[in-house]
Amino acid sequence: MYSVELRGATKRYPGGGAEPVVALDDVDFAVEPGEFVAVVGPSGSGKSTLLNVLGLLDDPTEGWRLLGGTDVTGLTVAERTAARKESIGFVFQDFHLLPTLTAVENVALPTAFDPGDESDRAADLLDRFGLGDRLDHEPSELSGGQKQRVAIARSLINDPAVLLADEPTGNLDTETGESILAEFERVKEEGVAVVAVTHDPLVEEFADRVVELTDGVLEGGIPDETDPTDDASPAPDADSATAPEER
Amino acid sequence: MSGGGIARWLRGWRPAVSMAARNLRRNRVRTALAVLGVCIGVLAVAALGIFGNVLALGADDAIGDIGTQVVVSPNADAGVESLSAADVAAIRRAVDDPAVGDPAVVPLYSDNAVVEGVTSQTFATIYGVEEPGLAFEAAEGRLPERHRQGAIVGAGVAEDLGVEAGDTVGIAGTRVRVVAVLAESQTFSPVAPDDAVFLPESAFAADGYAQALVVAESGETARAAADAIREGVNAREERVDLFELAAIVDEINGFFDLLSTFLLGLGAISLVVAGVSILNVMLMSTVERRQEIGVMRAVGVTRRDVLRVLLAEAGLIGAAGAAAGTLLTVLLVAGLVAATPTVDAALVLDPTNGYYLLLALGFGVGVGLVSGAYPAWKAANERPVEALRS
Repeated sequence: MYSVELRGATKRYPGGGAEPVVALDDVDFAVEPGEFVAVVGPSGSGKSTLLNVLGLLDDPTEGWRLLGGTDVTGLTVAERTAARKESIGFVFQDFHLLPTLTAVENVALPTAFDPGDESDRAADLLDRFGLGDRLDHEPSELSGGQKQRVAIARSLINDPAVLLADEPTGNLDTETGESILAEFERVKEEGVAVVAVTHDPLVEEFADRVVELTDGVLEGGIPDETDPTDDASPAPDADSATAPEER
Repeated sequence: MSGGGIARWLRGWRPAVSMAARNLRRNRVRTALAVLGVCIGVLAVAALGIFGNVLALGADDAIGDIGTQVVVSPNADAGVESLSAADVAAIRRAVDDPAVGDPAVVPLYSDNAVVEGVTSQTFATIYGVEEPGLAFEAAEGRLPERHRQGAIVGAGVAEDLGVEAGDTVGIAGTRVRVVAVLAESQTFSPVAPDDAVFLPESAFAADGYAQALVVAESGETARAAADAIREGVNAREERVDLFELAAIVDEINGFFDLLSTFLLGLGAISLVVAGVSILNVMLMSTVERRQEIGVMRAVGVTRRDVLRVLLAEAGLIGAAGAAAGTLLTVLLVAGLVAATPTVDAALVLDPTNGYYLLLALGFGVGVGLVSGAYPAWKAANERPVEALRS
């Protein structure tokens, strides 16, 4: 079973003219648990759209999306939010930490409004990424590499199945970028599927598989293309979708 | 909602309020200005509300007495020139009823004359009265139970002429000893005792009374007495006119109610302006933090929790401004009372003023929440994919 999977996913935006812009064109894509996939392609090829659709931030116009074998194509806004929180971690090029929160609070942000206190777990995660002495620092007191480590720790606070990274090394120098990619290797060893869209050749070096997206068309999206239909993916059925509770 | 439910509900707000407080600290000047706006609005509502209330209370205090008097005079339209002894007896019979509080009836003869003091003279109303103690109070000397001799001088006349109890005044050529000077009248009354001199009934050769004063305990019994006189004396023939001050008191009170509402309205305008400034601050702040809010939504924070954080920010601005404005109002009013001795402290300390403080406090917080609602709703419902793109 794949951690995350797209089948025949198409995304069209209403463009300026009569013809809609096709950002994703019948894309088949799947990532296995513990696999690190790099998605490369020129600017405007649909990489960000692919990541948004995978990360339940955006819905495909056509096709199916599965998360851990469950159809999550047509969820409500509240269900999508809950599914993101539960199963997906995001790492952004600009780190996107909240400037008013300390490192620990940023890591615990996804759980900040839950009854329990996840500070200890957040501190453990930061410690794991070598930031044990920066727990109460605000983002402005951290270097770029440290911020990205905090962001990775945040993406892992809920033990996600998938980590989605948008140009994770884009704002980092080569040396820091390498150390961040080394962290991704550790993350994937824990069974988390990692998908990074990137322009950085360094990311391709670390990836298990590199797929190229050109004008919305993806080649080699499925790990073993010999027979995509014999897989355990059942015909997606909206009724079988587990609808996460609204929180 | 059960107690546990409320506790859980409050716990849900705690992280939101904590996050909101930190966001407000990011741009202290902007936050302070918004708080100041609410503070001024609350000050305006509370201070103007209390001001209007004190005016109304003061007016009520001053005119409360006249509401207790009914002046009965002959109905000249019906050809009645004066009130006869029979009329006075009829009036006494009409109000001799425990239901109308058994008010005192003081018939008055009336004339005008020049009153001479030692060095000066003045024009005054001269009343003939038998039982002055039922309707008036003395400042100097003592009011006789039965007025048999001498003159009782109103406060204004006594001041004009420079006379005191024991002196003599000249009325229509005769010197009369002053037995008492009346206390200055606190109220408006058509009898105008300040500018009058009261002589015994025997000094008048008239064959009827000019008017009769009915002095009741309260405005309510005065009105009941007036109704009783209308029924008892005017039943067959409209012999008397009634000048009933309670109705005027009602009208005056109505005017002060209107004035209070008007002043509150003025204050409310400034509170609305404060609301607009909160709206502006929250809109700017949510636009600036669009990406942050997008990130919160992306990592799984629900729309409801984002809404809570933003509402808490607006609510905190409103609450801080309202608290400051209320405190400032209390200080301002206390300062005014201390600085102007003419203001009766009892009127300012009246518990009804506290109602205006609470009203302003509630309005302040309410304005914060209402103004914050739209920006918060807008930001919470933006699609994270759009918010993150910018």
